[in-house]
Amino acid sequence: MLRNFTNRLFTSFTEDQPIAPLAVLRIAFGAIMLISTIRFVLKGWVHDFYIAPKYFFSFVEWIRPMGAAGMYSIFALMAIACFCIMTGLFYRLAVGIYFLCFCYVELLDKTYYLNHYYFVSIFAFLLFLVPANRYFSLDVLRKPSLKVTHVSGWTINVFKTQLCIVYFFAGVSKLTYEWMIQAMPLRIWLPAHSQIPVIGGLLTQSWVAYAFSWFGAIFDLVIWIFLLKKSTTKYAYIFVLVFHVFTAWFFKIGMFPYIMICVTMVFFSSEFHQQLINRVRNTFGKKNAAEPVVAWHLRPAVQNAMCCMLVVYFFFQLILPFRYLLYPGTLLWTEEGYRFSWRVMLMEKGGTAFFYVKDPATGGRSEIDNARYLTPMQQQMMETQPDMILQYAHFLSETYKKKGIKDPVVTVESYVTLNGSGSRLFIDSTVDLAKEYESFQSKKWILPFQTKK
Amino acid sequence: MKRFTSYITAGIALTLATAIFSCNKKSDDNKTSTPDFDRKAMLTNWGNNIVAPGFQNLNTAVTDLDAAIADFNQAPDGTKLAALQSKLTSAYQKWEVCEPMELGLADQDLLNVNANTFPASVTLINQNIAAGSYSLSAVSNLSAKGFPALDYLLLGAGTTSADILAAYTTDANATNRKKYLADVSADLKSMVSAVSASWSSAAAITAFVNASGTDVGSSLGQMINKMDFDMDVLKNAKMGIPMGKQSMGQLFPEKTEAYYNGISASLMVAQVQAIQNIYLGKSSAGDGVGLDDYLVAINAQYNGGTLNDAIKAQFDATIGALQAVSDPFSANVTSANAGTAYTQVQKLLVLLKTDMPSALGVMITYNDNDGD
Repeated sequence: MLRNFTNRLFTSFTEDQPIAPLAVLRIAFGAIMLISTIRFVLKGWVHDFYIAPKYFFSFVEWIRPMGAAGMYSIFALMAIACFCIMTGLFYRLAVGIYFLCFCYVELLDKTYYLNHYYFVSIFAFLLFLVPANRYFSLDVLRKPSLKVTHVSGWTINVFKTQLCIVYFFAGVSKLTYEWMIQAMPLRIWLPAHSQIPVIGGLLTQSWVAYAFSWFGAIFDLVIWIFLLKKSTTKYAYIFVLVFHVFTAWFFKIGMFPYIMICVTMVFFSSEFHQQLINRVRNTFGKKNAAEPVVAWHLRPAVQNAMCCMLVVYFFFQLILPFRYLLYPGTLLWTEEGYRFSWRVMLMEKGGTAFFYVKDPATGGRSEIDNARYLTPMQQQMMETQPDMILQYAHFLSETYKKKGIKDPVVTVESYVTLNGSGSRLFIDSTVDLAKEYESFQSKKWILPFQTKK
Repeated sequence: MKRFTSYITAGIALTLATAIFSCNKKSDDNKTSTPDFDRKAMLTNWGNNIVAPGFQNLNTAVTDLDAAIADFNQAPDGTKLAALQSKLTSAYQKWEVCEPMELGLADQDLLNVNANTFPASVTLINQNIAAGSYSLSAVSNLSAKGFPALDYLLLGAGTTSADILAAYTTDANATNRKKYLADVSADLKSMVSAVSASWSSAAAITAFVNASGTDVGSSLGQMINKMDFDMDVLKNAKMGIPMGKQSMGQLFPEKTEAYYNGISASLMVAQVQAIQNIYLGKSSAGDGVGLDDYLVAINAQYNGGTLNDAIKAQFDATIGALQAVSDPFSANVTSANAGTAYTQVQKLLVLLKTDMPSALGVMITYNDNDGD
């Protein structure tokens, strides 16, 4: 049984498959990301997020914004790259550029970290590895010799695998006491939408919050199985549609539901994708002539290297969400090992943080008006995330050093509420954060989250 | 394949079950349903009984003040000056009621910075008076107009009442100063009248009530946002800066609100009482639907009790502590009572800014963004 399974798995990654799903995926991804990029610019977020702020919570110290002209150029470049991905023009170059630009922008400030941005980055990375432009693309039109009809199975299956991981881990992360037994945070969020016509009244019922929580968890945990199984893909996709449209309607999660709706199409059969392409061709008045079979393969040595790389990649994908187990304390409270783990919509968290800078020489102390340095959104995000609190404390230390204070002592009195727990002290207010440093070690100065009786 | 799938399904069901039953915490006494809370009823109460009357009262006060200023300018004397000063105090009190609800046209017109940017710039005011020409609508003149400018002109233009009167009678710039006083008053009056007129229209109330969601643009979201912002102004600008909280202990008593009138502490009390009334939904029409009822309806908890009880108690503690601060606040910035009041204000701020919005699921980010 097991051997049978591994064999099947292996062959599905090596045997030739029609390229149609890959071409459709490329078009869908390019199109939705083009819309996403334009939307971002039109909302004024390039200015609000990457030009206006005085300080940036960068992931990597030396990755900094490039000013208005630079930032708008990056976004223009991304839009062009998306267009090229969609149409399959200079595809590898375009997707490479898109990947680099997108990662650059995401690394600029933790404030705007979203799982779906992480998802887009890794999807772009995976797209860079595959020849998605070798069918139904401008590259083929430009250079017909590029055209192939079949590709090695892995080029399509990496995307399916990635999506399975996303859904499954999103489901696993919901298997908590808060989500399943207390229906938190949906019990807070759903009643807040009670003005919605017709079903509004239902949303204040707590059984509805339970139903949503359980449905959400079970959906995430099992949907990938039904997407994979040929006979149920269709029905599973309907669930995907309903689920994501619903979440898009209820929660402010931007483009994420639409991105998922687009990319999960990859689970459909190659016949389905071929029909889709043929239909488009027909509307442009092209005949669908029978195509000679041409298969795309990597050279064996490269294929082996690629295989090794992918094994390592997916190994990390599988263990990354569990790294939180290495840290003590409540995950949602400390957020140590929280990011890059497909934890979505799990918490209603709010905080207020009062920072103090003390001059050890005189004993004088200043309270910081955070609004002087941070945008409201940066404040809001920083106030509940320890690594950002630490980053900001170091920034304050540097700022006061420049004002001529030697070794300023930076402390914070911060109050945080998690899933309706009621606010309580979050960070040890006696610790000089200027002397604490970011590392993979657990942050001892985060006070434990005790559930009060 | 079929068998494989059923294995997986069974495995997941098992994981699910284990995860749930391994949570060996006792299930707390969950209420099985959250009673319906009528947000529209709360918004109607706010609109009709708190916001609209608040701006109408302010409008009456500044109109009255403006007429008195015109009368004073005709023939300035000590009696009229004293009357003016008391009318200003009264208008200031009405202002504190409106400050936490900079909504609708008040928000569009940036009423708060136009009416109450303090401390007033004495230099700028005197430059304007000497020049005789100025544009009060210019951003550069924000600290030379509004209540703080009137405070200086009517109570700070000289050390004694006689000196102040002299500034409007015998002083070389007396004519210009009278004109400036009238212009500042007219500017304030016209802004307040416009906002008051807008909130007095049924259309404004309807629009306010109909934005009954909980997102960033909703009336509830905006109200909480403005309340919290005003609490920040109280803590940082009205108390923190004068008390040297942001300057390594260096005091700035002259940066208190209504410095020349010396009524800062009583204004702070009025402001917190105004916020309390919004919270409670309380007005001259009685104790209507407010955030207190909302928090009770959703059974919000805090530290073993209800969040509503915690907030109500903290309002009382804060108002009590502020009442214990003597006026003029500028002379008492280092007093123990001021220190206590500051701590209480901070506690109230945390409850209103962190616990309340989080319990309500209200979006109070000023910036629109994708959540996750």
